Amino acid sequence: MTPQIELVDVQKHYGSFHALKDINLTVPKGQFVALVGPSGCGKSTLLRSIAGLERISGGTLRIEAQVVNDLPPRKRDLAMVFQSYALYPHMSVRDNLTYALRLNGVSKAERAKAAEEVAGVIGLEDLLDRKPRELSGGQRQRVAMGRAIIREPKAFLFDEPLSNLDAALRVRMRKEVRALHDRIGATSVYVTHDQIEAMTMADHVVVLRAGVIEQQGAPMELYDRPANRFVAGFIGSPAMNFVPGALTGAGTVRLELPGSPEIGVEMGGEAGRAVTVGLRPEHLIVGREEGAKIPVTIGAVEQTGSSCYLFTEGDPEVLVTTEGTSAIRAGDAVSLHVAPGHVHLFDPKTGLTLRG
Amino acid sequence: MSALTNRLMLAAALALAAIYLFPLYWMYVTSLKTQSSIFAVPPEFLPGTPQWQNYVTIWELANIPRFMGNSLFIAVGVTAITGLFGAGCAYVLARYRNVWIDAALFTILMLQVLPPSLMVTPIFVGFSWAGLLEYPRIAAILAISAKTMPFFVILCRAAFMTVPRELEEAALVDGNSRAGAFFMIVLPLARNGILISALLVFMQGFGEYVYSASIIADNRLQPASIGMTNYLQPNQVNWNAIMAFAATYVTPILAAFVLLQRQIVNGLTAGALK
Ligand SMILES: Nc1ncnc2c1ncn2[C@@H]1O[C@H](COP(=O)(O)OP(=O)(O)OP(=O)(O)O)[C@@H](O)[C@H]1O
Ligand SMILES: [Mg+2]
Repeated sequence: MTPQIELVDVQKHYGSFHALKDINLTVPKGQFVALVGPSGCGKSTLLRSIAGLERISGGTLRIEAQVVNDLPPRKRDLAMVFQSYALYPHMSVRDNLTYALRLNGVSKAERAKAAEEVAGVIGLEDLLDRKPRELSGGQRQRVAMGRAIIREPKAFLFDEPLSNLDAALRVRMRKEVRALHDRIGATSVYVTHDQIEAMTMADHVVVLRAGVIEQQGAPMELYDRPANRFVAGFIGSPAMNFVPGALTGAGTVRLELPGSPEIGVEMGGEAGRAVTVGLRPEHLIVGREEGAKIPVTIGAVEQTGSSCYLFTEGDPEVLVTTEGTSAIRAGDAVSLHVAPGHVHLFDPKTGLTLRG
Repeated sequence: MSALTNRLMLAAALALAAIYLFPLYWMYVTSLKTQSSIFAVPPEFLPGTPQWQNYVTIWELANIPRFMGNSLFIAVGVTAITGLFGAGCAYVLARYRNVWIDAALFTILMLQVLPPSLMVTPIFVGFSWAGLLEYPRIAAILAISAKTMPFFVILCRAAFMTVPRELEEAALVDGNSRAGAFFMIVLPLARNGILISALLVFMQGFGEYVYSASIIADNRLQPASIGMTNYLQPNQVNWNAIMAFAATYVTPILAAFVLLQRQIVNGLTAGALK
């Protein structure tokens, strides 16, 4: 099957600034792909390049096997939802929804029918005659979505469509957007800086940093087997703890923490080699009993009700999360187990993951 | 600000407005006076019996329809040329950002500084050389457009800058061409600012004096701004005729200003807020 969108060695330069470097990405039909990364890493640039709003400086961009490097946006047949929604302020919701159809020469009667239909899907039947300024933020967001789904584009492009919504609505819309994607069998590329959005919505997550794809794969693959320290720290919430350490050569690593505790790793390696040890907060288990591996003193405790964040004293600070509430208080001395098979090792210089 | 300072400011504003508007009032009053009461001492601030026939006389005597027609012709021509070329120029200046655009903007601002009385000689020589003086009204339109253009471009650019770029991009993705997005999205949204700028240009063209006076020699082609001065002769000045002429000339402009003043203020400050 030919991929819906395919990028091969795509480059983007702004003058001397290299915004996208050797981007290789294949989006099969029907897939939901999320682009994540910190601010300024080039997510929007990549999305806009696919849309044709930016001209790529090198490489090949194909949509349904057709090279589109030089095609203007209108010839690419994609739909895009902007962060600001970009609703046309001088048009009613109905006209906003059907603008693309109008440009494609669809008859007025058919446009009206399509508007009703889409309004039903996005739940805005009663607001069709309003102007965008008469809508709430959430309603505007829905109109922006409706404007995209009213035609059957080759793919949907989303640029942080939920970032202007409040937290509760964002969680709800996350599910709705994904459900919509599945229902209409769409192909979507979704930009977000929120890794939770990426993890929960996407089939395939692409982590960008400074214009480079650091890693791409299924969400759980990124979580379980991050390719480097950056991805390990970016994916997962709260973020992974990084502790300096050294291999002992006997299947363990000694952490540079008070008491020099050792924990088991599935890696031999030469004794004394310096490594960075990555430990996810949720993979550290608090136990007071003997035999626990890492003795620590708790410096601060944050309770959210559903979970509890324990911060250890000293440097580096280690964060531990536990489910539910906890009786542990600041100042308590506890021991930490590491869930077996959940120790990540990175080269301290290159940041790359070390595997045995 | 306290209520007292507020009131003082208001009083100052009213006083300034009164000083500024008094000549206008005097023009209307004088136009309705008899020849003798114009020079009455002390001056009469209200005309005794309004001499409406001053207007009737001047209308026929002074060829007002012809002069006004010429003014209108020039104003429309200036507005059309300025609007057509200026809007495109302003759009480009609003959408792109680089050194050349900055240089162009600076040049345009500089052009604003040059007074017509300075420019008129070189323009006259150039037009004469190019044979444009054969068509004096067209020549005047071109010369005046050169003056109104920078002003219009700067105002229009501000209007275009209020239209977010993403709207245009959304239109491109929705299936518009660049031109389509400009005409269907950008232009309607910048419409108010553009119309107001065009109106101001129209008024400038309607009241212009320096270029018309130098370029248009033929009395039959001159605009009202020049026609009026025909009544200013060295020895005797027919004051109420001039004032009636002047009143006929500026009243349409004043009416337009009063009717549109809210839009004008909004148009001029568009983009300043928000
Ligand atoms: N028109 C431009 N000219 C020059 N540099 C640009 C231009 N547009 C973007 N950049 C640069 O390219 C980089 C990537 O920008 P981009 O907008 O893609 O970031 P992003 O990942 O979407 O960030 P955010 O999460 O903040 O939206 C940034 O460093 C930005 O400064
Ligand atoms: Mg962005």
